[in-house]
Amino acid sequence: MNDSWRCECRNISIRFNERPVLADFNLGLRPGERVVITGDSGAGKSTVLRCLLGFVTPDQGRVFVDGEELTVESVWRLRRKMAFVPQEADLGRGRVLDVLHRPFTFKSNADLDFPETELPALLERFYLSEALLQEEIRTLSGGEKQRVAIIAALLLRRPIMLLDEATSALDREARTAVQDYFAGQPELSVLAVTHDAHFQELAHRVVDLQPPQGRKTR
Amino acid sequence: MNTSTIDIGYMALAAGYLLLIIPILLILYYRVKLLKNLLVSILRMTVQLLLVGFYLQFIFQLNLWWLNLLWLLVMVVAADLSIIHSAGVTVQKFIFPLFVAVLAGTAIPLAFFLCVILQLPYLFEAQYFIPIAGMIMGNCLRASIIGLSDFFHSIHKEEKAYQLLLAQGASLQEAVLPYIRRAYQAALNPTIASMATIGLVALPGMMTGIIMGGASPMTAIKYQIAIMIAIFVGTALTVLLSIRLSRPGSFTAYGTLDPAIFAEKPA
Repeated sequence: MNDSWRCECRNISIRFNERPVLADFNLGLRPGERVVITGDSGAGKSTVLRCLLGFVTPDQGRVFVDGEELTVESVWRLRRKMAFVPQEADLGRGRVLDVLHRPFTFKSNADLDFPETELPALLERFYLSEALLQEEIRTLSGGEKQRVAIIAALLLRRPIMLLDEATSALDREARTAVQDYFAGQPELSVLAVTHDAHFQELAHRVVDLQPPQGRKTR
Repeated sequence: MNTSTIDIGYMALAAGYLLLIIPILLILYYRVKLLKNLLVSILRMTVQLLLVGFYLQFIFQLNLWWLNLLWLLVMVVAADLSIIHSAGVTVQKFIFPLFVAVLAGTAIPLAFFLCVILQLPYLFEAQYFIPIAGMIMGNCLRASIIGLSDFFHSIHKEEKAYQLLLAQGASLQEAVLPYIRRAYQAALNPTIASMATIGLVALPGMMTGIIMGGASPMTAIKYQIAIMIAIFVGTALTVLLSIRLSRPGSFTAYGTLDPAIFAEKPA
């Protein structure tokens, strides 16, 4: 259809336990574009992101990343083009620094070096102290965890950012800092699920997702 | 068989049941809701052990290699089903991998115990083959339940953290590794802890049995040391094989945990 999409959901339909979550859903994300998905809870917002990552397989429709269809073979490669910040950032266990280092130990990321020099600037920009790096991730507050999750995603330098309520636990100052940061990265394609008004203002497009039947886009 | 153990007469054993009057009176006095369970359990224990006793007596008399081996295989299947039931996973996906895991985990240390440590002229000697196999397998069973439950239930419970690893570029192998480590630790810790306290807190069953059988305490502790090693090796093998062999059928091609592995939807 269109090879210039960074990623694309094409005619996606998904049902969970007989309940339709997405019905004939279409969405494309252009290079450098920031798109916000908003809508009622249960409208399938997170499902869109999880679908792009291959965590949910649609009953109908196809998913493309950089023009290539997401399949059981391609998914392992295509996931490396996307960075994901999940809702209620659960980063597992360990020290913050180890958690940030962990993805760089994966074979598929062997070509990446841990961006040691970028880390202090990112921490400062998101109002986190460097001392936090030595702390156990489970002892962090919800807001701190979210920012660590965002930094973990940014360090991987992937072209597509998938953010699922990534700033929900942040105070206004930190939230604005994060959102403005994304707005200042013209090479990043960002698909964000959020209700935040500021993020919606910074977006090129806002998709209002309603439960199947009666969806509108503005 | 060693004949120096005093046999217990059936009437004398029946008298032993009288001792149960003490806890039953306590349960009645405090109206603890245990009486029905207790009576059912006592009945089950009696019937099961009587049956096993008769059966083993028969097996010991015949002492045929194939019959002893068959007994081992029946025990492996029973252990297999028990693990599946306790870990809350489905029979179809787990019966074969767990059969292999329990069989290998039992047979390898068992063979070593019988051939190298005891140097039995006849490997399938029922008097040694069956009880030692039973002790190793019983522990493999317990450890495998802990390891398997911990592995699959942790990934299920921490699905988001697990999927984040996949999103960050982990292969299936890399994403499950932290969960394998944790499950292994949870499953082996009890055996390691019991090795450290053995003899201090409680006298182990095997040692007690050998002493009562008429052997010297030194013989008894040598057996106990050897069986502890065999048990640890058996559990270490079974737990890892249980997880490793059941993994291929338990994840989707996209790397997510297949919810169909759980017998009932876990909380």
